[in-house]
Amino acid sequence: MKQSFVFSGSGGQGIMSAGIMLAHAAIDMGKHATFLPEYGPEQRGGSAKCTVIISDDEIISPLTKKCDNLVVLNSIAYNKFADTVKEGGRLIANSSLIPTDISRDGIKSIAVPVDNIALEVGSLKVANVVIIGVLIGATGVVSKEVFVKSLEEKFKAKKPEILEMNMKALEKGIAFGKA
Amino acid sequence: MEKRFMKGCEAIAEAAVRGGCRFFAGYPITPQNEIPEYLSWRLPEVGGSFVQGESEVASINMVYGAAATGTRALTSSSGPGISLKAEGISYLASAQLPAVIVNISRGGPGLGSIQPAQSDYLQATKALGHGGFRTMVFAPATLQEAVDLTYNAWEYAERDRNPVLILMDGCLGAIMEEVELPEMKELTYKNTESWDISKRNGREESHMITPILPEAMLEKLNAYKGMTYKMWEKNDVKVEEYLLDDAEYVVVAYGIAARVAKEAINTLREEGCKVGMIRPITLYPFPKASLDKLDYTAVKGIIDIEMTIPAQMRDDIELQVKGRCPVYEYGRSGGILLDDEGVYEAISAIVKGGNQ
Amino acid sequence: MAAYKRPKSLKEMPTAYCPGCLHALATRLVADVIGELGQESNAVNVISVGCSALNLYSWAGDDIGAAHGRAPAVATGIKRCMPDRLVFTYQGDGDLAAIGLAEIMSAANRGENFTVIFANNQTYGMTGGQMAPTTLIGQKSTTTPFGRDALSTGYPMQMCELISVLKAPAFVARYALNTPKGVMDAKKGIKKAFQYQLEGKGFTFIELLTNCPTNWGMSPLKTFEYMETNTIPYFKPGIFKDVEVQE
Repeated sequence: MKQSFVFSGSGGQGIMSAGIMLAHAAIDMGKHATFLPEYGPEQRGGSAKCTVIISDDEIISPLTKKCDNLVVLNSIAYNKFADTVKEGGRLIANSSLIPTDISRDGIKSIAVPVDNIALEVGSLKVANVVIIGVLIGATGVVSKEVFVKSLEEKFKAKKPEILEMNMKALEKGIAFGKA
Repeated sequence: MEKRFMKGCEAIAEAAVRGGCRFFAGYPITPQNEIPEYLSWRLPEVGGSFVQGESEVASINMVYGAAATGTRALTSSSGPGISLKAEGISYLASAQLPAVIVNISRGGPGLGSIQPAQSDYLQATKALGHGGFRTMVFAPATLQEAVDLTYNAWEYAERDRNPVLILMDGCLGAIMEEVELPEMKELTYKNTESWDISKRNGREESHMITPILPEAMLEKLNAYKGMTYKMWEKNDVKVEEYLLDDAEYVVVAYGIAARVAKEAINTLREEGCKVGMIRPITLYPFPKASLDKLDYTAVKGIIDIEMTIPAQMRDDIELQVKGRCPVYEYGRSGGILLDDEGVYEAISAIVKGGNQ
Repeated sequence: MAAYKRPKSLKEMPTAYCPGCLHALATRLVADVIGELGQESNAVNVISVGCSALNLYSWAGDDIGAAHGRAPAVATGIKRCMPDRLVFTYQGDGDLAAIGLAEIMSAANRGENFTVIFANNQTYGMTGGQMAPTTLIGQKSTTTPFGRDALSTGYPMQMCELISVLKAPAFVARYALNTPKGVMDAKKGIKKAFQYQLEGKGFTFIELLTNCPTNWGMSPLKTFEYMETNTIPYFKPGIFKDVEVQE
């Protein structure tokens, strides 16, 4: 089983960190994963895109145009990539910044107010964890337990309040993903 | 063996350290900055030296000095920076100094773009500098292969007293995947002591490292280099031959392009199309035999797939095909990456429709 | 009274320099100092491109030929890997002050712990006498046949002055080799520079004003006079920086 995930938005929205977290979680589960970032030349605020492939078998090609799961965090990314979701795939759009109707034939569309949720639980910085939550809820590609463990390893000892914020973000994301 | 989920540039930097590299000099250029950034803290940990040079020109010449002391030395850059290093690489070749150069290539022509591309095949294999010398060119397709080739690159460089080039595109430099890291090499003796300018240690005769020789000696050096290149072709070709036995169409691709092509070949095989692949791992010495020995009564076409336009490996392919079947090419460039769908469609159109 | 013998760092062969050329004397001074310091087998001579390259085959110790202008980068690589060896570059003015300007300034600015011997004869000797970055205003060369004109070619590059404003260098000095006193002073300066390096004090830079009878088109004696009346007033000898004195 091979699944592709493309994340896109502008630099600083947590695109790259979300991709790396997802790939890490897959590896922690004993799966194979590749993470490929694509940057514009800007240091801040430019377009950002990354592709994550997760597979039970060794990954041959890490480059795909059509993906099983697309996460777009702003309108530019939505307009650019919305048509690259494979038949039967998922389009996850940040409805905080993409106010249009995203429904399309042949794919599942999930509108998630990623920024609003992140701000609600405490900080825009956890937007990436909201996204991971949505993907866990919608695809089950990585398990919640494995991801929670990695969050705990990172924050539990030194920053318990940050861990709590991340947990809330994750739960809300999962709920949206399952809906 | 230790497994790590690593970024391409960092994986080869760590592999270099484990392969005995103790000196790095380089100058910032996208998309290879993670190599100097990593080595800036990693080399001092193992007693090595890191210098951020004032230019690519200076950096390759620092490597020239370090290599002369028998220290395993590395520099890395991307296309435009490799052009600047051409002078120093030429001097390494003429002064018979071992060193490893990494090119994480980006879009051409000229300045091109900072996005990944396989735009430096010709530079790497035909004219890495002036004076008509050759270097071995390793072109890994996975990070594991990049780690393994980097780890052993100095063995070739020291054996031949010649620089070695590792050519990867920006995708492989930036991609993260899992790699098994080899053990740190314990170098108990220097392969270079008979000629280097390391510690004298009571050595009576002095050593001269020179990029210039009197005519008769220079002619001998050129003849010796020519023999070395012949030996590479005989002994050191690395190539992956994939599903060639019954192949009617043979893809030739290296590095990232070969991975995308392999995915497409697997899909086409499921559809009953007899497609195989030759993947050069050494771009020089080029795997001539793999192409020459194909059964051209069965093979209907060769398909050169590269992440550059026009294809640069094509001349080397055609020299071996010798007109025995058509050669097709497909590529993307300018910072637009190859992708599974595009490569599948391109091969499919040729295989199923004889489309050019 | 010591007999005037060939220093161990020079092979028993005639110098390749033109008669009356001070490059030969400069090389000899360096070899003498290395002998006095007992560093013959420890020294590494990084030889540059130009007439300075004529030393490559006559130098008896370890030596290495560098690309044009790159000797300070090559020396950086050597010294970083072999910090105990006495490393020096021997460079002319075209090599150091034109094509190699980035390398010399950057090595000096990093405070690399090696010594630069800079022979300044205001011309590209090996290629036949073209204008150098150090050619004096009004001085004729094959590319300034009517004399160097500041309006189109700027002014002679004063390397000691430039390098001494950097913070890192430990010793920066200029000597003229056209008089016995200048020669004796130069020898002392070279010795100090090498000693500083052996003590790990950092970058040391010795500029030696030399001549080029062949390309200046003068007898050797005439070149000494020319140096006194033209070169020395512009390139003033002296110690520009000495960490021991200033700090």
